[in-house]
Amino acid sequence: MASVLILTGSPSTVSRTAALAGHVADDLVAEGHEVQVLHLRDLPAEAVLTADTAHPSIAAAVRAVIAADALVVATPIYKASYSGLLKVFLDLLPQSALQGKAVLPLATGGTVAHLLAIDYSLRPVLVSLGARHITTGRFVLDAHIDHRSGGPVIVDDATIACLDRTSAAFRAELRSPDAQLSALAAATA
Amino acid sequence: MTGIDEPLRRRIAVVSAGLRNPSSTRLLADRLGEAVGRALGDRGAVASVELVELRDHAHDLTNMLHTGFASPELQVALDAVQGSDGLVAVTPIYSGTFTGLFKNFIDVLPEGALAGHPVLLGATAGTARHSLAVDHALRPLFAYLRAVVVPTGVFAATDDFGHSQGVRQDDDVAPLADRVQRAARELADVVLSSSRPPAVDSFDDPTPFEQLLRGGGPAR
Ligand SMILES: Cc1cc2nc3c(=O)[nH]c(=O)nc-3n(C[C@H](O)[C@H](O)[C@H](O)COP(=O)(O)O)c2cc1C
Repeated sequence: MASVLILTGSPSTVSRTAALAGHVADDLVAEGHEVQVLHLRDLPAEAVLTADTAHPSIAAAVRAVIAADALVVATPIYKASYSGLLKVFLDLLPQSALQGKAVLPLATGGTVAHLLAIDYSLRPVLVSLGARHITTGRFVLDAHIDHRSGGPVIVDDATIACLDRTSAAFRAELRSPDAQLSALAAATA
Repeated sequence: MTGIDEPLRRRIAVVSAGLRNPSSTRLLADRLGEAVGRALGDRGAVASVELVELRDHAHDLTNMLHTGFASPELQVALDAVQGSDGLVAVTPIYSGTFTGLFKNFIDVLPEGALAGHPVLLGATAGTARHSLAVDHALRPLFAYLRAVVVPTGVFAATDDFGHSQGVRQDDDVAPLADRVQRAARELADVVLSSSRPPAVDSFDDPTPFEQLLRGGGPAR
């Protein structure tokens, strides 16, 4: 069992990105992992913007990142890249914040034309923060997400199948010997 | 049309996304702004240079992301950028790319706001190791915005600020002052040759941010 922190980077109160993250969270919980979700829009804006790591909410968020065995990083695509809100939070993390961790990148966007944004824009940032292993990410079209009705979140069969594979690959990584070694190293550090 | 005696007037907006004070990003932004002003002057134009310090708008940017609406102060900054004839955009490099503050500003720009807009890109970082960030992270973002970005991007590491003009360093990189001048000349040339009419309503029919936020996306 791993502890997984999910970060969501949409400024919207009713967010497709958050709904997608919830869908993946359910898979993780079903497999017995311990999941915590942090919607970055809920952090105190002033403290985030000034990178006030002494602020209790920010300090707790940074501790949660460092303590997690693995992360899911979910962002809406804005202007062909991750959201500024996500980056503002990543900017206040210590440079090695993701060291030893597996990370699953997720994105939602209005056009498949921006599918590559995960790999060209988000992945390099995660690499720079020291992520040990970044599993294959997934871009989901906003039209395939139902974030309002309270029914099934993913409303497109092909997307459900793709997402299942993505999520399974990430869960397999959580069980890998590498992951267990890093968890052990973190626990004894 | 401009009369014989009437000088060519061009407005340059300089956006600086530095977080600290004093900020080397601001220092680079100021140098670039001055250099562009001089280059335009050399070409017979009268330049006005307006600085937008994003740090001062950080809070309003977050509010706008949540509500879709700009405070009056932020609106002035957005108008300065959109109404300019040329933009100098400078960000610190964090984790190999632009900062979240810089991206928040880009995020709230109306769709199409910088289409066809002449832009000079600058970035600062502690070391030269992230020099490629201008080309790898900033250019693709401005490609999406359909801006006309000049070929020379100016990256400055902390060490760069001391080096004097004309003296090459060991690695044969032109000193910062030379790169600043080259980029400024390039921007001045694009600004003056630009077929876009100077001043405010030079972007065609942008989608306002508030509408993007409601509709969830740009024109498909
Ligand atoms: C300011 C803004 C810019 C956007 N830019 C893009 C874009 O460049 N590419 C894209 O595919 N979708 C774009 N979208 C659409 C969103 O990525 C998409 O609707 C996403 O699912 C929203 O997620 P959320 O509901 O979690 O906020 C944009 C939306 C907004 C509000």
